[in-house]
Amino acid sequence: MNKMVIKRRILPYILFFIVFIPFSESVTGQELIYMTDSGYAEFTSHVPLHSFTGKSNHLTGMIDPSERVVDFYIDLNTLKTGIGKRDRDMYSTLNVEEHPFAEFTGTLNSPIDMESTEKQTVEVTGDFTIHGVSREVTIPGTIQKNEDHLLLEAEWTLNLNNYNIEPPGILFYRVNEEQEVRIEATLLPQDRETLSNGN
Amino acid sequence: MIKIICTAALLILLSEIATAQLPRERVQPDDQVETVFWSTTNIGISTVQNLSARNLNTTIAHTFGTTNRGIEQFFGLDDGANTRLGIDYGISDTFSIGIGRMTFDKVVDLRGKYNLMRQTTSENKPIDLAVKLSTGINTTAGIGLEFSDRLSYLTSFMAARKFNRLSIQLTPMLAFFNDVDGENENRLFGFGILSQFELNERFALGAEYLPVLGDRNPGTEDAMGISLNIDTGGHIFQILFSSSQWHGEQFIMANNRDQFLDGEFRFGFNIHRVFGL
Repeated sequence: MNKMVIKRRILPYILFFIVFIPFSESVTGQELIYMTDSGYAEFTSHVPLHSFTGKSNHLTGMIDPSERVVDFYIDLNTLKTGIGKRDRDMYSTLNVEEHPFAEFTGTLNSPIDMESTEKQTVEVTGDFTIHGVSREVTIPGTIQKNEDHLLLEAEWTLNLNNYNIEPPGILFYRVNEEQEVRIEATLLPQDRETLSNGN
Repeated sequence: MIKIICTAALLILLSEIATAQLPRERVQPDDQVETVFWSTTNIGISTVQNLSARNLNTTIAHTFGTTNRGIEQFFGLDDGANTRLGIDYGISDTFSIGIGRMTFDKVVDLRGKYNLMRQTTSENKPIDLAVKLSTGINTTAGIGLEFSDRLSYLTSFMAARKFNRLSIQLTPMLAFFNDVDGENENRLFGFGILSQFELNERFALGAEYLPVLGDRNPGTEDAMGISLNIDTGGHIFQILFSSSQWHGEQFIMANNRDQFLDGEFRFGFNIHRVFGL
């Protein structure tokens, strides 16, 4: 066999290992992704002499510690302020028919220590999208591993003007453009392979 | 071979990227139809609308003299107002309690409203059902009545449905007065018919009619009213014309002596404001 033939026969194997070895851990499902579809999200709005809070228990998302990927979204129609008329005005302001989700996709700025059960301060950087407008944001929060699940908490301020959302109001009565957003979620481990199979 | 491997690698790489973002799925809860009525009172009759838990609703209701009194009485405004101040509080999302006080007979009323069913967007539950219990106490001094003689009661059953922008409510009710004058009835049955039509996000029209069924107090008429509801973003204003100057269903049935269709109606307004506590 000449060198050329050997090269042709061996090259595919070399390529195979180069390409597949980095994914082998994922494919075998040894890594865990942490997910929730019932996280809590709230925003607090301020109007003159008053404030109100919108709440939802439909925050959906996942944290992939090994890849440092964080992805969350919420169906804005699930936010309730306690007054139906106000909810309808809010949905109209956010144009939820056209843009039903508020979403964040980004990465952890530093790895999570999965051996620790202490509350860890984390930061994520990525794109937050609402009202069809995406902006890169960095959001601080905490993650705590508790038995097999992760507890996530985060708070930040969302400026409506940054997302082309006009604060609703009439005459002198106008909602403050800055909204305090808070999320809490318990994320349960999911096998990556199970997820990739759509289960 | 190289092409196959590269294709496989690309597919795996794409699947990895895909797992970085979850598929976006809308939540499909069996949502309640919101705001069947914009406020807990339409004009003078309570609606199926209730307060959410820990919400406080304040109400200021005014009704003046009849407009047919002319310019001399400034179309009834100079005749003085019957004013009711009230607060209601949501104990839960389906149960609220309230207290109020009106000028006429210095009546203090205590009331509770409970939602038995809420209309859902899926039509799984096609109507709203609620029940209201109310006690009125005539607190006028020096009229020689025992405490029990000062009491009156109301039980009303509310069934409502929202059809797109139109809401209709039917409200059979029973009032009982412990002590009455002359030929007045202790027991009065009524059947309230309420409606609201949303013109847009800020304005809605309201109407109500409260016929007394069976025996009624002499000289009384079935009450009727129309209103323009305005949502200011924080308050609901109801600018109204109503035959009855009284507030509270049992007092409207027992005391209304004006006939709306004969031009005997008065100007009034209700202001509702909800605070989250």
